[in-house]
Amino acid sequence: MHNILLIAKREYLEQIRGRAFKISTVMVPVLIVVLMVWSSWNEHNAGTGMHIAIASNSAPLANAISREITADKDAKFTIDVVAPATEAERDSLQSQIQSKALDGVLTVDESANGVKSATYVSLSSGDFSGSWRMANAMNRAVASQRLIAKGVKEADADAALQYLSIDNLQLKKNGTIGKSKGVSPFIKMMMMLLLLSMPIMLYGLDMARAIIEEKTSRIFEVMLAIARPDELLTGKLLGVGGVGLTQIAIWVIAATVFMGSSLAAAALTGNFAIHFSLMEGLLFPVYFVLGFALFSTMFSGLAATCETSQDLQKFMLLAIIPLYLSMGLLPVLVKDPNSTWSIAASICPLTSAYVMIPRMGLEPVPLWQIATSIILLALSVWAMLWFSSRLYRVGILMYGKRATLPEIMRWLRYS
Amino acid sequence: MPVVELARVTKAYESKVAVNKLCLSIEPGQIFGLLGPNGAGKTSSIRMMMGITLPDAGTISLFGKPFVRNSLERVGYLPEERGLYKKMKVSDQLVFFGCLHGLQAAEARERAVAWAARMEIADALPKKTEELSKGMQQKIQFIATLLHSPELIVMDEPFSGLDPVNAVLVEKTLLELKEQGKAIVFSTHRMDQVEKLCDSICLINNGEAVLSGNLRQIKKGYERNRVIVEFEGSSDFLKSGEIAEARNFSGHAEIKLKPHGDAQKLLHEAAAAATIYRFELVEPSLEEIFIETVGGKADA
Repeated sequence: MHNILLIAKREYLEQIRGRAFKISTVMVPVLIVVLMVWSSWNEHNAGTGMHIAIASNSAPLANAISREITADKDAKFTIDVVAPATEAERDSLQSQIQSKALDGVLTVDESANGVKSATYVSLSSGDFSGSWRMANAMNRAVASQRLIAKGVKEADADAALQYLSIDNLQLKKNGTIGKSKGVSPFIKMMMMLLLLSMPIMLYGLDMARAIIEEKTSRIFEVMLAIARPDELLTGKLLGVGGVGLTQIAIWVIAATVFMGSSLAAAALTGNFAIHFSLMEGLLFPVYFVLGFALFSTMFSGLAATCETSQDLQKFMLLAIIPLYLSMGLLPVLVKDPNSTWSIAASICPLTSAYVMIPRMGLEPVPLWQIATSIILLALSVWAMLWFSSRLYRVGILMYGKRATLPEIMRWLRYS
Repeated sequence: MPVVELARVTKAYESKVAVNKLCLSIEPGQIFGLLGPNGAGKTSSIRMMMGITLPDAGTISLFGKPFVRNSLERVGYLPEERGLYKKMKVSDQLVFFGCLHGLQAAEARERAVAWAARMEIADALPKKTEELSKGMQQKIQFIATLLHSPELIVMDEPFSGLDPVNAVLVEKTLLELKEQGKAIVFSTHRMDQVEKLCDSICLINNGEAVLSGNLRQIKKGYERNRVIVEFEGSSDFLKSGEIAEARNFSGHAEIKLKPHGDAQKLLHEAAAAATIYRFELVEPSLEEIFIETVGGKADA
C-alpha cells in the first residue's frame, strides 16, 4: 500500500503541475460553453432571415402564401412574388439562386382541376427549419383559398385557421403536473456527457501514452525492482484518476460560483434553467471513477504492448466506439429515456459511464437499474484489471518486439 | 553468509532457455563481475535477482533467506538503460526513489543533497532530468541506487556514458562502498574495469556459467605465456620462432608464446635486436580469457 500511495502521489503531483492540466482545466469548460451558445443560437436562428421568391401561375395564391409567411414575425423573410410567372422569369429566378441574389425559389402552381404542386429550389439541401416554415404557411394559405372558394368569408377562414401552439407540460412522479423544462434537460445532458467523456478519454489516453514513454525510457526496469507491476498500475490509476476528479471538482466549484452570479441568472432562466439532484451529485463521481478505471485499465494493458504512441493508434477505436455509440443514442434518450435502447445503454458497462448520468437528468431512473449498472461496471473494471495486469506485467519488459494478437495471447499465458 | 545466492536457477522464454541451472554466491564486502556475450543471460539473471521476473526452477536467496520482495528495500539496482522521469526535478526524483526504498522524505532529501555534493552535481538538483547531459543523468541514477544505503548493489554497465574523470569518481565510490562491507554485483563490457575492481567473476555463455570464482585464482590457473616488451630499436625479434602471435604498438609489444615457447630465448633475441626497457612474463588478460572461453565472441 505504501508503494501504491507513493506512486499515486507522484503521478498526481506531476500531472497537476503540468501545463496540460492547466490548459485543459480552462479549455474544456470554455469549449462546453461555446458549444452550448453556438447550438442555442443556431437553433434560434435556423430558417430565418431568408430572401426567397414565390413563382406561381396564380397571383392570388402566391400573394396569400407571401402574406402567411411574412405574418410569422420570427421568420424575418424577404419575399419577391412573381405571378403569373413566365418560363423566362422562372429561369431568371433560378439563375438568381446561382448568383446568390436569392436563397431559394418556391414554385406553387395551380392546375385546371385545382390540384396544386409545390417545389422549393435552393443551393442548400438541409434547411429543414426554413422548409418547415414555408410548408406551414403555404398550407394555411391554400386551405384559406379553398375555404374562400367554397364561399367562406375571408375573416371566417382566418379564424378557422388560427394557429394554436402546444404548451408542453410534464407529469411528475408525485402525480402533479408542471411546466416542461424546455431545452434545459438537453443542455444538461450534453454537459454531463462532455464532463464525463472528455476527462475519461483524455486521462485514459494520457495514461496510456505515459506508460509507453516509461516503457521506452526504461523507467519500469528501475520501478519493478522496487514495486510489483500491480502496485505500479494501481498507483498510476489512482494518481491519474485523482487528477481527473480534481479537475471535475474545479469545474463544479467554478460552475457553482457562476450559477450564483447575476450573469448566470440572466442566461440560465426559463428554457435554459439547469438543476441537479443530490442523487446526480452523488453518482457522478462514482460513474466517473468506474468509467475512468475501465477505460484506463484497458489502455494501460494495451499500451504495455506498444513501442510507440503510433502503435497505440490502432487501439483507439476501442475507446471511441463506446463514446460514439453513447452520443448516437442521445436523440433516443431525449425522445424516450425509458426505451429499451436507453435502458440497455445505461446498463451496458461500455456505455453506462457516459449514458446513465445524462439519462438521470431527463427522468428519474429506477434504483434497480442504477444498482445493476454500477455492479456490472465494477465487475467489468475487475475483469479488465485481471486482463490488463497480465498484459502489463509481461508487456512492459518486452522491448523491440511487435505485439501481434498471437503474441499478446502468449503473454497472457506467461503471466 | 552470502548476500545473494542463486542455486540452479533456470529461466526459459518459450523454447529459448535464457538461464540454465545457474549457481552463484556473493559475499558482503565483495565486488562481483557478471560477464558474458550479448544474449548470454546476464540481464535475465539480474532481473531474477531483483524479483522483476521469477525463475522457472531453482532458488534465489537474499541476505540468507529465500527471496521476498521486502528484501528489495536493502538492495540498490542500476539497470543498463537509464530509467529516470524526464520531466521531474532531480531532487524530487531522488526523494521519490528514496521513499520507495523506505526512507522518510526529509531524510531522503538530506541524503540526496549530500550525495549530489559527493558526486559533484549539486547544481543539478533543482533541474529537470531532461535538462542534464547523459553523464549527469548517469550520476543521478547512480545516486538513486545508493541513496537508501543498500547492502547489496546491483549495477548493469555503471560506467556507461561517463567520461574518464567521472568514471574514476564512480570507481572510487564503489571501492569505498566495498570497504563499508557492501556487496556489489556489476555487469560490464569493460574488462579493464573488471580486472581493476572485481574480486570474483562469473562468466555466462548461453545461459550457463562457464567460468566462475575468485578472479586472481582464475588467472593463476592460466599459463604465464604472455610477454609484454617495451623496447627501442629493431622489432625483428617479433619474428622469433618462439612467438605464436604478436601485436606491435611502436615500442610496446604484446606477445603470446607458442606452447612450450622459451621466454628466455626470446629475451636474448630481443636484447640482440633492440634496447629493452621492460620484459615481463604475464598471465593472460581477462579479455583474452573471456574470448578464449566463449569461443571468440567479440563483446561481453
